[in-house]
Amino acid sequence: MNWLSRLLPGRDEARPSNTATRALIEQWAAIPDVDPNKPHFETRYVVVNTEASGLDLERDTLLSVAAIAIVEGQILPSDSYYATLGDHAAAALGGLVEFAGKSPLVVFSAEFNRTLIERAFEAHLGFTPELIWLDLYVLLPALFPDRLARPARLAEWMEVFGIETFQRHHALGDAWVIAQLMLAIQARALPQGAFNARLLADIERSRRQLQRQT
Amino acid sequence: MTVTAPEMLVGASTDFLKRFSPFNRMEPDALHFLAHRAALAFHPRGSEILTPEMGQARHFFIIQRGKVQSRQTGPASVTEYSSMTMGPGECFPIGAVSASRPSTNAYVAVEDSFCFQITADDFMQLMQMSPVFHLFCTQYIASLLNQSRQQLQSTFSQRAAEQQTMTTPLAQLIKREPIFVGPDCSARMALEKMAESGIGCMVIADDAQRPLGILTQSDLLRRLLLPGVDLSLPISEVMTANPHQLPCSASAYDAALEMATHAIRHLLVVDSDGQLQGVVSERDLFSLQRISLRQIRAGIESAADIESLRRASQDIRQLALNLIAQGIGAEQLTQFISALNDALTRRIIGLALEHHELYGIDFAWVAFGSEGRHEQTLSTDQDNGIIWTCPELQDAQPLRLRLITFAREVNDNLAACGFPLCKGNIMASNPDLCLTLDEWRGRFGSWIREPDPQALLNASIFFDFRVLYGNERLGDHLRAWLNKSAKSNSAFQRMMASNALQVAPPLGRIRDFVVDDDGTVDLKKSGARLFVDVARILALRTGVESSSTVQRLRRAATKMGVPNEEVAAIIDGFHFIQLLRLRSQHLDTEHDDANDNKVNPETLNELDRRILKEAFRQARKLQLRLKLDYQL
Repeated sequence: MNWLSRLLPGRDEARPSNTATRALIEQWAAIPDVDPNKPHFETRYVVVNTEASGLDLERDTLLSVAAIAIVEGQILPSDSYYATLGDHAAAALGGLVEFAGKSPLVVFSAEFNRTLIERAFEAHLGFTPELIWLDLYVLLPALFPDRLARPARLAEWMEVFGIETFQRHHALGDAWVIAQLMLAIQARALPQGAFNARLLADIERSRRQLQRQT
Repeated sequence: MTVTAPEMLVGASTDFLKRFSPFNRMEPDALHFLAHRAALAFHPRGSEILTPEMGQARHFFIIQRGKVQSRQTGPASVTEYSSMTMGPGECFPIGAVSASRPSTNAYVAVEDSFCFQITADDFMQLMQMSPVFHLFCTQYIASLLNQSRQQLQSTFSQRAAEQQTMTTPLAQLIKREPIFVGPDCSARMALEKMAESGIGCMVIADDAQRPLGILTQSDLLRRLLLPGVDLSLPISEVMTANPHQLPCSASAYDAALEMATHAIRHLLVVDSDGQLQGVVSERDLFSLQRISLRQIRAGIESAADIESLRRASQDIRQLALNLIAQGIGAEQLTQFISALNDALTRRIIGLALEHHELYGIDFAWVAFGSEGRHEQTLSTDQDNGIIWTCPELQDAQPLRLRLITFAREVNDNLAACGFPLCKGNIMASNPDLCLTLDEWRGRFGSWIREPDPQALLNASIFFDFRVLYGNERLGDHLRAWLNKSAKSNSAFQRMMASNALQVAPPLGRIRDFVVDDDGTVDLKKSGARLFVDVARILALRTGVESSSTVQRLRRAATKMGVPNEEVAAIIDGFHFIQLLRLRSQHLDTEHDDANDNKVNPETLNELDRRILKEAFRQARKLQLRLKLDYQL
């Protein structure tokens, strides 16, 4: 049986059992660590996106999560994940942890998405996996200063690259956009020497520092 | 959770694909399969997506966004386009991925582009799943065939033009008596005369008919209309004086050179006294009267002796060249050659009959082999025979001798007219091939009953028979009898099939073609014959009466329920090989030559090579079908 199924609440269970969460944590810990020095081509990235009740981190809550994998510089539609939290928040988040494994995560605006997701992990699973997070909100203007030199909204980047999606403001619909932007990032990063996740994370960090200074 | 993430994303890809042909017509299952397998990748501007150097094409790409340029990498001017830009919904490389070989074009992203890609295996599976997609790919390849044919034609037009047009003396190019006016004629009168005679220029000549000047249609605007010249002025005021002229004996080539040098469209042709003989226009040079089909045919039918037939046979050769230049495909071309050769043979027989008393003998002159199939190329030796019936109560032997003597004369005269005597003595003058209907039946029957290798070889020559002269019904009887006998004998068919599979198409696993020691591929032995052999078996099996390979394939396919497109692709492949054969005969030798059917793939241009490979793949497909049918 899939260990995930144990996270699904039974008839009279409102919350997942501690055993199920423990199994999840053990399972996750057992996954071999991802080497952040491996080139993009050999790294599985997971684009993660959320849908929340609003944009206020203090008040609003996570409604759904979506994830799309990028393997060998390609997006395969079947390698994706989407779940609404609702009554099955633990199962939805557990599924995300299972889908993501230890892959570096890619988000657009970590400040919002990462915060929401990690908070939800803590609340529903009592555990926050330690992962590399890459934020395209910061990386895009760093790598494509010729297109837009300042941090911009997702819609603006869509226009720059002519990217479309089947449903905007939907967790998966926007994840589809972010995944395509990540493909562009990978292609652009290579000739600049940022051929792995660690180097991308370095670019992001120095960029953040620069922004704080100015 | 009602809809999963993969379902949503696959749905999104499906919606995208549905906006473009052929995906919008694709079967739902196949489309779902495609959308499910299609991975999206990014190709930054300037990056190479696929090039010949990358080796065997492993992916099939569909552009999702951006622009991709397809560039020919081989020798320049392979097709009309040297590069082509493709946008969303367009896909590549169809030929390379279906043939598992390197792409012949280089595909480069000219904008930041996203492409869906599926693996070659998935592509193949999709072809199998989806008749719509299969048809799309087949038609694409067929369009390549067409392009190549057009290109072939342009090669020939050029050649025919050089041969015929360029050496013709100008005197022969003049179509009508010269039209001219005197220098004092008013401009209005001159223009009226131009309009009346429907000519593009007016010559102004003196009393001795020596040209003084010229006024062309293109001069009218600049010299008369725009300046508002008074039309009552004498024409000499507005003409171009000292017009370019050439003597009658100058060639069309000289005229073309003169026109090109001076950027003019009309030249005056004068005789040795400087008198105007006529005008040659640029257009005349390109629309020379060529030897026509009708002329040759009339020439053949009225020929009184072998000498004039010999000349006619040279005209046939010349005509074949012109026909290719005029854009006739291999099928029609071989039919024309065949028709004229038939007429020639009939006339030779007719002439021979004038001094051979065969009255009262019921006989038919038949052609075998390629001639029997209407597929003669220009270097075919004769393969013929006679079917006759012996009247009751008559001794066969003396009659046979008379027929043989007659046949010998026909064979010799055919040889004199350019059809070499058959080295294997497959000729009507061979007593073994001058048989009564019953004897032919006995012969055919023994081959069918005991199909040893020699019998199978014989079958491949003699079963393609066709009556050229005499009583056609004799041939019909033999054909009906043969089809009936062969149809009921599946063991014989199976042996024929196994024999036909002895030679495989020269397709290489690593290289494109498997070539002989001299680097060539034999287009007859390992090309055309593969189609011909399979077609013969299908015809026997389905009772098709035609002896032509294309007809056999078409009709057998109809009877067996094979889709039209599939047959069309096979026939295109056959035609292409035939066209290449004709071309190599023309361009290489113009005479019979042992190498006539050999082509070195290295010397073909990219596109021809690609299509030749596709043609061979069609042969393989045909063979595969035979293999399955007879479980070989």
